[in-house]
Amino acid sequence: MKKNTKYVFLFTGIVIGALLTLGAIALFSGSAENDGIIKTEPVEEEHNKAINIPPKVMREFGIEVQTAGPEKLTLHKDLTGEIVPNPYEVAHIVPRFAGIVKSVYKKIGDKVEKGDVIAVIESNESLVQYKVKSLISGTILELHMTPGELIGDEQHVVKVANLKDVWAELNVYQKDLGEVKIGQRVEIFSPHSRNVFRGKLFYISPVVNEATRTAITRVKLDNRKGIWKPGMFISGKVFTSTRTVPIAVPKNAVQILNGQKVVFVKSEKGFEPQPVTLGIENGDFVEILDGLHTGDKYVSKGAYTFKSEILKDSFGGDEE
Amino acid sequence: MNKIIDFVLENRLLVLVLALFIVAGGYFSYKQLPIDAFPDVSPALVQVFTQTEGLAPEEVEKYVTFPVEVAMNGLPNLKSIRSVSNFGLSVVNIYFEDGTDIYFARQVVNERLTEAREQIPEGFGDPQMGPISTGMGLVLFYYLEDETGKYSLEELRTIQDWLIKFQLQTVPGVTEVLGIGGWEKQFHVVVDPTSLLRYNLSVNDIVDIVKKNNLNVGASFIERDAEEFLVRSVGLATKIQDLENIVVKSVDGTPVYLKELADIKIGGAVRRGIQTRNGIEEVVAGMVVKLYGTNSSTVISSVEEKMAEINKTLPEGIKLVPYYEQKTLVEAAVKTVTDALIQGIILVTLVLMIFMGSLRPSLVVALSIPFSIMVAFIGMNYLGLSINLMSFGGLAIAIGMMVDASIVLVENVDRLKRKMEGEPFLYVVSKASKEVLRPIIFAIIIIITVFIPLFTLQGVEGKTFKPLAYTIAIAMLGSLIFAVFVAPVLSSYLLKSKRKKKKKGGKDEKEIWIVRAMIKAYTPFVNLFVKKRYLAVILSVLLLLLGAFIYPKLGSEFTPTLQEGTLIVRLSMAPSISLEESKKITLIAEKRVMQVPEVRGTVTRIGRGEVGAHTDPINSAEMYVLLKPVEEWREGLNQQGIELKIREKVEGMPGVLLNFTQPIRMTVDELLEGVRAELAVKLFGDDLQELKRKADEISLVLKKVRGAADIQVDQISGKPQLKITVDRHAIARYGLNLSDVQQAVKTAIGGETAGQIFEGIRRFDIFVRFAPQFRSDKQAISNMLISSPNGLEVPLSQVAAIEEIEGPRQITREQNQRFITIQCNVIGRDIGSFVEESQAAIEKSVVLPVGYYTVWGGQFRLQQEANKRFAVVIPITLLLIFFLLFSSFNSMKNSLLILLNIPLALVGGIIGLWLTNQNLSVPASVGFIALFGIALENGMVLVTYFNQLVKEGKSIDEASIEGAKLRLRPVLMTAATTALGLIPLLIAFGTGSEVQRPLATVVVGGLFTSTILTLLVLPALYKWFAIKPEVSEL
Repeated sequence: MKKNTKYVFLFTGIVIGALLTLGAIALFSGSAENDGIIKTEPVEEEHNKAINIPPKVMREFGIEVQTAGPEKLTLHKDLTGEIVPNPYEVAHIVPRFAGIVKSVYKKIGDKVEKGDVIAVIESNESLVQYKVKSLISGTILELHMTPGELIGDEQHVVKVANLKDVWAELNVYQKDLGEVKIGQRVEIFSPHSRNVFRGKLFYISPVVNEATRTAITRVKLDNRKGIWKPGMFISGKVFTSTRTVPIAVPKNAVQILNGQKVVFVKSEKGFEPQPVTLGIENGDFVEILDGLHTGDKYVSKGAYTFKSEILKDSFGGDEE
Repeated sequence: MNKIIDFVLENRLLVLVLALFIVAGGYFSYKQLPIDAFPDVSPALVQVFTQTEGLAPEEVEKYVTFPVEVAMNGLPNLKSIRSVSNFGLSVVNIYFEDGTDIYFARQVVNERLTEAREQIPEGFGDPQMGPISTGMGLVLFYYLEDETGKYSLEELRTIQDWLIKFQLQTVPGVTEVLGIGGWEKQFHVVVDPTSLLRYNLSVNDIVDIVKKNNLNVGASFIERDAEEFLVRSVGLATKIQDLENIVVKSVDGTPVYLKELADIKIGGAVRRGIQTRNGIEEVVAGMVVKLYGTNSSTVISSVEEKMAEINKTLPEGIKLVPYYEQKTLVEAAVKTVTDALIQGIILVTLVLMIFMGSLRPSLVVALSIPFSIMVAFIGMNYLGLSINLMSFGGLAIAIGMMVDASIVLVENVDRLKRKMEGEPFLYVVSKASKEVLRPIIFAIIIIITVFIPLFTLQGVEGKTFKPLAYTIAIAMLGSLIFAVFVAPVLSSYLLKSKRKKKKKGGKDEKEIWIVRAMIKAYTPFVNLFVKKRYLAVILSVLLLLLGAFIYPKLGSEFTPTLQEGTLIVRLSMAPSISLEESKKITLIAEKRVMQVPEVRGTVTRIGRGEVGAHTDPINSAEMYVLLKPVEEWREGLNQQGIELKIREKVEGMPGVLLNFTQPIRMTVDELLEGVRAELAVKLFGDDLQELKRKADEISLVLKKVRGAADIQVDQISGKPQLKITVDRHAIARYGLNLSDVQQAVKTAIGGETAGQIFEGIRRFDIFVRFAPQFRSDKQAISNMLISSPNGLEVPLSQVAAIEEIEGPRQITREQNQRFITIQCNVIGRDIGSFVEESQAAIEKSVVLPVGYYTVWGGQFRLQQEANKRFAVVIPITLLLIFFLLFSSFNSMKNSLLILLNIPLALVGGIIGLWLTNQNLSVPASVGFIALFGIALENGMVLVTYFNQLVKEGKSIDEASIEGAKLRLRPVLMTAATTALGLIPLLIAFGTGSEVQRPLATVVVGGLFTSTILTLLVLPALYKWFAIKPEVSEL
């Protein structure tokens, strides 16, 4: 009898113990079930959902909407080069006879008129003095004579050039050769100055320089003010083509969304990402070949905001 | 055991002196204890940061992260290594086993770092360890206010980096001061590529030349006569002109100066983070990082003093404005618990007075509180615990329990004193003490034992709640020491004289009227229940059923969020965002928040500043919302209300994900490893594309498994890249090396540092880079000219393919491998079976390439581990308690009767939570554990007395009724002191109260039911569980 009751008590004890253990475990594990994070369903394969942003917020974020339409796209190439004198306006003056320089009347940089006397030389053979005259009007660029100097009859001693117009020689790289053509408009800039000259290409060299692998193209510059000095380093913007395309958008209107290029287009539901095919582009605009129709309202500024709104669901994942 | 009492009473003075020593020791320990807001839950972690200028995540991973990771393998005590390779920054987190000494960890990491450094290619950055700090180390943030408006952001940053930073770093306990915002001053050499062309130079030539023309050297000394002259050659550039006049080359004797090739000016360094304020402007800010293990409150106050000093030395109109101070939090948290502690002490003393009816015995009992607390301080000091919300909270919780042992003792002395009139008082005290000594010791040991499961808690919960468990346990030990050694002595001194007075008043059951009234009210009930035992059974069953009915209704949460009192609005933007756009959006958000009238200001950090504290990319912004003082708030608005208002304002910002958080919580979350979801499948493998593809497949499979919810695959790509792939054939034609092209690309676009300019001790980088218009878009980059060795200039696009692609935004690695996480929650079914089913499904339908494998983890893994531990620890604890009970009573039946207390106590806790609308949580569970102990103690007190009465020859029924009546006072007293001691925690609303409240609720609720049980059900059931008198008499 007594033994029996003992077992009953033992059994009761075990049951109580087990219950308590389970209860305690339930307390602890139950408490870990839900730590209060509310997660939204991830939005996958839903890249085409429409985004609605209230007009007030659009203004706050600087978002602008435009109507798709034609745009004049001007394409250009940036080239570098230098100013050279116009070879047709340069005179290399060589003394007729070898002799001693008696006197020099001009200095480098002096302006001369055609027929002006630059120096007087006494011929070695005849001991007669003769005048060296300028053949053209222009500026003396080189002058290799000092009084008393013996001058031969082979090398030129004076270089006179008319710098009223000069050439800009631009180097064209192989990859650009197909697009740079005679007659294209060009803007010439000089670094460190505001001077700009607008002209047209009149020449492209028929061969490519073997050393530099570049071809040369030339523009004639009006230099009556004398700002373009031969030897000067310049860069040129050659307008290779100007085309009016049916639809073009500012470059920033195109966003890459999940590997696709898209423009955000207004629909009844809001703004939807519209995959587009791009055509030609310049610094500011890009042509849309496909995906956008004339008259469509699209986000021209602040398209990035729409992109991030679509990506919102995905980028929060590991931040929480 | 009785010898103890004899010894104590024989050496009363000695005991008192020793007790005073303990109290003094406690006080000195208290003075040494560091003060923090919360227990530091940061993992044992060493972070290795490597800054690499301009490298994309793939290269950072390959050249930097990988070598560092590999070097760290096999460190002692290593737990795991995780890494994140971001743009320009590699962060390797090396986690050590909990409890590893941080200096040891840093030392072993440092040894291996030298190895790693050798493996990292020259110029790819130098790995550095993060500050010696933890998640709680960011103690103070400040910004520089410029009232004059004259100073540029560069100048302000220079003041921050070269004046404020150095001074603040001298404050003891400050390990680092990190600057952010504004612009770090640099000397920019802005190269015009066309000029390079003109002189046939490359941008790298410029870098070399600048480096070669900026040196000081020493040339030892010369002797002249009896003297030595030191020789030094001075050539350091000190100003812009010095740089401008560096001769780059000379053509026909004409020097070409650097100024002809480049613009040299002062500018700002490339930055990956900024700081904005109030939606108006950028500011320069700094963060003070506290050294690991130092006392937050002292460090902060020294920093404040220093800041006041610095403010005096700063230029007119500039001042430091702290915008986040952990001090406020520390103070608030400590105040919350200190208030609770003091109120608790007062309440408990009041209760004692009421029940004891006189001052002296109450005093003896009440002295137990300060004594136990002092003992706890000694223990805390020994264990290296800090004073914080949890450890102090433990004391606040234990106040009521600290007096229990002494109550029992003093009450018995008081009772016997009346009973044994005429005997020498010392003898009375001795007898009374000996009578209750055994149950007291066992009761306290049982209470301490009950906390054992808490000591096995791991991770964040362990670190949070262990200090609480420790302080309670030590304080209980203190109260035991007091009850055994000090209380008898004090009683012998203090209660004696009282007895004499009472003698005059005549022999009389001098119970105070309240107690008498209670006994009067109680008697019919106890009679009824003892007579009709089935009523007791019905009552307990009803209570149990009620508990079982309510239990499922309780919500659950892991740990209630600690309110830190500082609000952070975290903005996450698209990963590809630029800093400018990020700033624009942040300013908009700040403006919106500023519209809430209670907001005084906002300070936002975007991205990261100096490496060490934050690693956030620039698409992440953290806004500290500064609130006006409470008095200026609108009527009826509390902090939650304001949070709601702010939320309303900032919600609906396109492309912005919002998150409300708090400073410490945020930092700690960042340091902790692992994911927050219940289930996380980590897919390891090499190829990012493949990982993403397979992860998507896995997520599709998971979606079909019943119970799956919130499935989310990590987005690993999304950072646009301009990829320049050099055509090897093309460069061969021009006689170029790959490195010629890459170096040019790097320097021209990314820029390169070419030495430094010294201004006194301040040093500023010289940064060489192309002018912006020549490097800022694809077209300009295509046209960039590369100079070849044979003097040719080749546009980049002629020798390389340039394309815009989308690359990874960051690469995360674990166990030396790349991985991607698929997170998932499970609803409406058991996770174990869910995992099994999904594993089978994935095995069947997803073919993983060779070398790819999955690891299943997440919160469920932690829970499983915790459950496994508890499944062992809790039965052992119960067994232990049972043995203790058994050895105390020598009776299995008695022990079982006492154990029966536990379930009924639980019911009260559950009801308490339900009534106050709180959730089941870890602190609530801690409360249940404490409740176990208290319920057991009550049971023991009563059953011991029953046994005693039975031994004295009373019938069981008589013993039950009389015992219950006589013991009403101590039982009610211990219950009331414990419960009232907790009341302040129940009603507190200060910082940190939200963690203590569930705990207090459970204990108070549980005490209700358990006291009812002890007083009504226990006497009734005693008969069935009693030791048969004849047996005991034999």
